[in-house]
Amino acid sequence: MTNLAYSLPARSPRGPAPERAPHIEIVSTRSQRRARPRTVYALVTVAGLFVILMVQLLLSIVLSQGAYQISALQAQQTELSRDAQTYTEQLDVLKSPQNLSARAEALGMVMSTAPAVYLRLSDGAVIGTPTAMRASQTAVIGADGALVPNSLLPEQPAPGMDSGTTAAAGAPSGATATGSVASTAGVLPSPVTH
Amino acid sequence: MRRPASGRRRLFIALLLTFAIVGIFIVRLVDIQVVRADQLNEDSFNKRAIAVTSYAARGDIVDTNGSVLAASVLRYDITASPRNVHDFTRIVDGKKVSVSVLQAAGEIAAATGKDHNDIYQALTKDPKSDFVYVVKGVDTATLRAVRKLSIPGIWDEKHPARTYPDGAVAGNLVGFVGTDGPQYGLEKTEDKCLASTNGSSTYERGADGVRIPGSTVTNKEAVDGGTLKLTIDRDLQWFVQQAIAEQATAIGAQSATAIVYRVKDAHIMALADWPSVDPNNRNATPIANLGSLAFSAYYEPGSTMKALSASMLIDSGKATPTTRATVPSVWRTPEGGTVHDAGNHAVEHLTLTGVLQQSSNVGISMIGINVPPQQRFDYMTKFGLGQISGVDFQGESNRGIPPLKNWDDQRKYDMLYGQGVAVTAVQLAGAYQAIGNGGVRLPLTLVESCTKPDGTVVTPQAAAPVRVISEASSKTVVNMLESVVTGGELGRVLTIPGYRVAAKSGTAEVAGPNGAGYTGDRIVSLSGLAPAEDPQYGVLVTYTKPAIMKSSAAAAPTFHKIMTQVLKTYRVPPSTTPSTSPPATW
Repeated sequence: MTNLAYSLPARSPRGPAPERAPHIEIVSTRSQRRARPRTVYALVTVAGLFVILMVQLLLSIVLSQGAYQISALQAQQTELSRDAQTYTEQLDVLKSPQNLSARAEALGMVMSTAPAVYLRLSDGAVIGTPTAMRASQTAVIGADGALVPNSLLPEQPAPGMDSGTTAAAGAPSGATATGSVASTAGVLPSPVTH
Repeated sequence: MRRPASGRRRLFIALLLTFAIVGIFIVRLVDIQVVRADQLNEDSFNKRAIAVTSYAARGDIVDTNGSVLAASVLRYDITASPRNVHDFTRIVDGKKVSVSVLQAAGEIAAATGKDHNDIYQALTKDPKSDFVYVVKGVDTATLRAVRKLSIPGIWDEKHPARTYPDGAVAGNLVGFVGTDGPQYGLEKTEDKCLASTNGSSTYERGADGVRIPGSTVTNKEAVDGGTLKLTIDRDLQWFVQQAIAEQATAIGAQSATAIVYRVKDAHIMALADWPSVDPNNRNATPIANLGSLAFSAYYEPGSTMKALSASMLIDSGKATPTTRATVPSVWRTPEGGTVHDAGNHAVEHLTLTGVLQQSSNVGISMIGINVPPQQRFDYMTKFGLGQISGVDFQGESNRGIPPLKNWDDQRKYDMLYGQGVAVTAVQLAGAYQAIGNGGVRLPLTLVESCTKPDGTVVTPQAAAPVRVISEASSKTVVNMLESVVTGGELGRVLTIPGYRVAAKSGTAEVAGPNGAGYTGDRIVSLSGLAPAEDPQYGVLVTYTKPAIMKSSAAAAPTFHKIMTQVLKTYRVPPSTTPSTSPPATW
């Protein structure tokens, strides 16, 4: 037992010297160092995440861009299909028998009222009697005009007279020549083929 | 170690503040996400999501070669929101030009061809309204012109419409579509094939109107209508319509019909009515002419019935083509009635063939009465008289043959030559088809098939064929009918060089109203088959109540014209043997 009566050793006059704390570093052992995960992996992971996010962003930008493109193309498609419809309608009306007969009449064609003449290919025999048609007797559309109306056709030869038929509303009578289709007047345009 | 008391208090306050702020956020979050979620969702959805109707086109009606008789097209309705219509400025050549509503109305009127004032009225009548129709049914070119004007408050809507590019050709058959839907003809009866179903979908769009990718939700697929294919040949139909129109106008007839059919399968190649409707312009036609009289109008056929009476005689064995009869001009029947021939003549020695050739009412009555009434009734039923035809067209009705108890002593003779019994043109054509087809009556067919948009072809179920007379009898009767063309009074008009033709004319009297005898009007007709040695095609032409030329001489030239064209169109080879028929006199 210490006898507290005795004086304790005197402190040194300078007191605890304000010396710099000793620089203590814990040195990791080799095994500890090996156990620590490397920075590279962390960087790769974070970079990877970053790349994924960027790609996602880019994809959604491209997708939206595509959406604008789709919208523009759809608008173009709508307009083109409208054009196609308009032309199909016009074509169907031009294909109608009323138009074809009026054009044929205007070209000076006549209808053949004689029965058909056949050519038998096996022996070249002609079956039936070929008959020449005279223009005066076989007009495509008779003197009464076109009696089967087509109100979609802008011009048609109006019927001469009538009572209560479904004729188109009265334009001056007479088969009107709706204009020659030939590029050289008076000549039937025909393809040059063999 | 313990924190000092002041430190603890600061911590406590900080924590309290943190919890308070978090609490506010949570409350707000719950409020938005849970309490008001549905309403907010809906609000935003309406602002972003657009409902779209995808229009499906009504099916086309095409002829047997694929030519379009009726097609669907898109038209547009110009609409306006009067609330948003106001004066505006437009940049023209770099300068600002102010345009008033009146001027804008004028521009729209110029583009659409409508009246300036009507459009102005539409735009200004109800300034609070959000929707009004300005012009209905404009085509694409007009739509583009109106859109180019860029008038605020003016929009457009799609409006599916129907167009008939061939006008009145087959108008009586095709019918037309009105504002409420199909109204007449095949458009109405074949609606199941033709109708389309519109689809609906919603998509979300961004503020600049572009569809957000991946946001389209299709609620219902649009289904196009099917294509209806008819047995009609469009060009032949036009030819026939023109032919009967010309002749009917020339003789002043009230109406006319013509039917061209293929004997072997009873397909109708052309069925023309005059007057008939141009479906593009139906308002120009009175209601009576909107349908098809060939199907719906009953009339007493007259002498064309004699071919059927002769068939009954030959098939039942009660007569042969050379059965002899001594035929006066007027005959007193055993029951006390009278039968007249069409013209006065001396007593003639006619065989049954001769009776048909000269179209003698007395002759057919004398010989035809030998077939018992019940048997005649059965034959007429088998011939399809008085019954709805295989086509079952709009307006057909079942009137039936007069029941036996109504066959009085005069009528039982009259019916042998086509008076006292009423049929429609289609029924008569069907009966001749049976005679030409070896005695087997096939149901007449107008609709060939319906092709669904996915490609499946649906052929209508046809009724069973009916054996009316034996094959030998049919050949005999057709042979007898050749004598009408070779030796009858219309022979010269009916002869088609190179072909054997069998035909029968008819000049029928028209019954007066209330059954009080007959009027002076006539219904003239001509029914025939060619080539007679193996009938391929049949034609029946009828003119109702001509003003001049009240005999079947009015129908003969049309028959000749149509039959020549039919034989040409379908490349029927000429007959190789000359026409021979049993002797007409004895």
